[in-house]
Amino acid sequence: MHAPLDTDVAIETPEHIVFRHRLAGPARRGIAYLIDVVACYFCVFVVAIIVFVAAGASDMMERMQQSYTSTMGLGFGLILLLLFAVQWVYFVVWEAWKGTSLGKMALGLRVVTTGGRPVGFGGAALRNVLRAADALPLVYVVGLVSMLVTSRFQRLGDLVANTMVVMIDRARAAAPLRLWPPAEPFELVAIPERVTLDADERTAIELFLRRRGTLGPSREEELAAMMVEPLVRRHGLNLPRTAGERAPSPSRLLALLYERAANAGRGEAPASSRQPREMERLSWR
Amino acid sequence: MALTSHVTEAAFVARRHKDWADLELLTRRATDKSLGALEIHEVTRLSPLYRDICADLARAQAARYSAPLVDYLHALTASAHSVLYALPPRPRFTLSLRGKKSAFLAFPRAVRAHWRTMFLALLLFFGPFLFGAIASLSEPSFAFRVVPESQLRPLVEGYAKGFAAGRQAGEGAMMAGFYVNNNVGIALRCFATGVFGGLGSAFYLVQNGLAIGAILGYVASQGAGGNLLLFIVGHSAFELGAIVIAGGAGMSLGWSIVAPGERTRLASLQAAGRDVAVIVSGAAIMLLIAAAIEAFWSASSLPSGLKIAFGGTWLVVVLVYLIFAGRGEEWVRS
Repeated sequence: MHAPLDTDVAIETPEHIVFRHRLAGPARRGIAYLIDVVACYFCVFVVAIIVFVAAGASDMMERMQQSYTSTMGLGFGLILLLLFAVQWVYFVVWEAWKGTSLGKMALGLRVVTTGGRPVGFGGAALRNVLRAADALPLVYVVGLVSMLVTSRFQRLGDLVANTMVVMIDRARAAAPLRLWPPAEPFELVAIPERVTLDADERTAIELFLRRRGTLGPSREEELAAMMVEPLVRRHGLNLPRTAGERAPSPSRLLALLYERAANAGRGEAPASSRQPREMERLSWR
Repeated sequence: MALTSHVTEAAFVARRHKDWADLELLTRRATDKSLGALEIHEVTRLSPLYRDICADLARAQAARYSAPLVDYLHALTASAHSVLYALPPRPRFTLSLRGKKSAFLAFPRAVRAHWRTMFLALLLFFGPFLFGAIASLSEPSFAFRVVPESQLRPLVEGYAKGFAAGRQAGEGAMMAGFYVNNNVGIALRCFATGVFGGLGSAFYLVQNGLAIGAILGYVASQGAGGNLLLFIVGHSAFELGAIVIAGGAGMSLGWSIVAPGERTRLASLQAAGRDVAVIVSGAAIMLLIAAAIEAFWSASSLPSGLKIAFGGTWLVVVLVYLIFAGRGEEWVRS
């Protein structure tokens, strides 16, 4: 769970749904860039070694005294072309094709337009040609300054091409919280019929309940006790005061409160007017 | 809290999780491979599933279901959105030689639409070019101030020999690689640095014009000028033309920030960026042609009359293409 931060950017879809992308900052993008550069120059290096070996072999076979052979010329031409591709072509092709590059993929980054759509060939070409301006005067100082002063961490290339780099997190579906074992009547004595938790309280209790399994029993109760106190005051819970009465433990109390707030008045399987999807689509055809 | 939903989170998840898993699978396959990797019935399934998850997300937020669920739906919506929504439709260029969408005609149209900066770029390049050439013709040591002497001397020796020997095949390939890497790189850099109000482009234009002019003047003053001219005549229309055009495009980009008109500076910059992207692509292609000519034709041992005719023809063709191709149909500034 992350609250809306100023490093989030909200995108409203035509369905009037607002979702958020997390922006990638200079550090992540720098690391991704390093990975890309290392990968590219490693490839160039491998080709260079092959060229030298091939040139040496052909030189020996032809018993030529001059150091310059046509194989070597071809090889050097190839290396120079590769260097050109590394500088100007690599990022354009990757970003236009996949919306990401090897390094960005490794860090889960993606290039999208500021409207949250994939970047096309034109956008990818523009933002990457402008690297030449961002990289000035050295090590992307201009790009870094531009990223720091714009709200979406955009370097000059991003500004011109109207793009941004976001982090794609593939969130896993988490199982909903369930109260177990079910509430017993004596536990519910202290809890009002209606409990209205505000967003912060809900989030706090929820995070606690999800972490519960990782804590030791005494630590669990200790933390729960700290959370219960303000809740008791705010919601006017009348917990049993004498030692003789049975009372739920603080941790259990939090679970009960949450259950009341989240599920009271809600059923498990209400009548639904929705038809199953399969049927609907069949009727269209 | 007011109940906006009478369904518990568990029941909601139980009812909907199948569709979510389906959408997750389809989205992942579409992003990892491509949309084309999906079967037709899967593609048609994608958009109803996406609309449903939009509704689910709204429902889950309104019902205040737990944060992990909302986060999960958020992430799923976002990734499905990026699969379903491509860029807004723009005129796609075709490879035909006629019509408004022809890429072949879009380039000269875009160049002419920016004729003011192109003209300025022409002046900024050929002014210093002439100055450098004349200065080093009259006083050869002037060239050493622009280009290091250690680079100039081998040039003179090289061109003094002439082209009788031609080039070996391997050398041509190597030089092609060099010209692509060096010249296209210079042109793209010349364009990109225009984003600083056009100053970077102007700098590169002046610097390159001065250096090339000085080299030409120096080599001529040492008596090898004829051979050098013979060498550059074949590809200069493409090469110098492309550098001027790239510089002009860069200055257009810069001018859009300096004088944004009725738009914000950012919006003006972005509009200019879309506009000049066509010009830069065209200039890059011109430079690739120039590199091929320079590597395999210019240094060959062909008769000099043929080389001059070849170069002259291309100069006329390039000029006519840039000035007249695709006239009549308006270039629409985005």
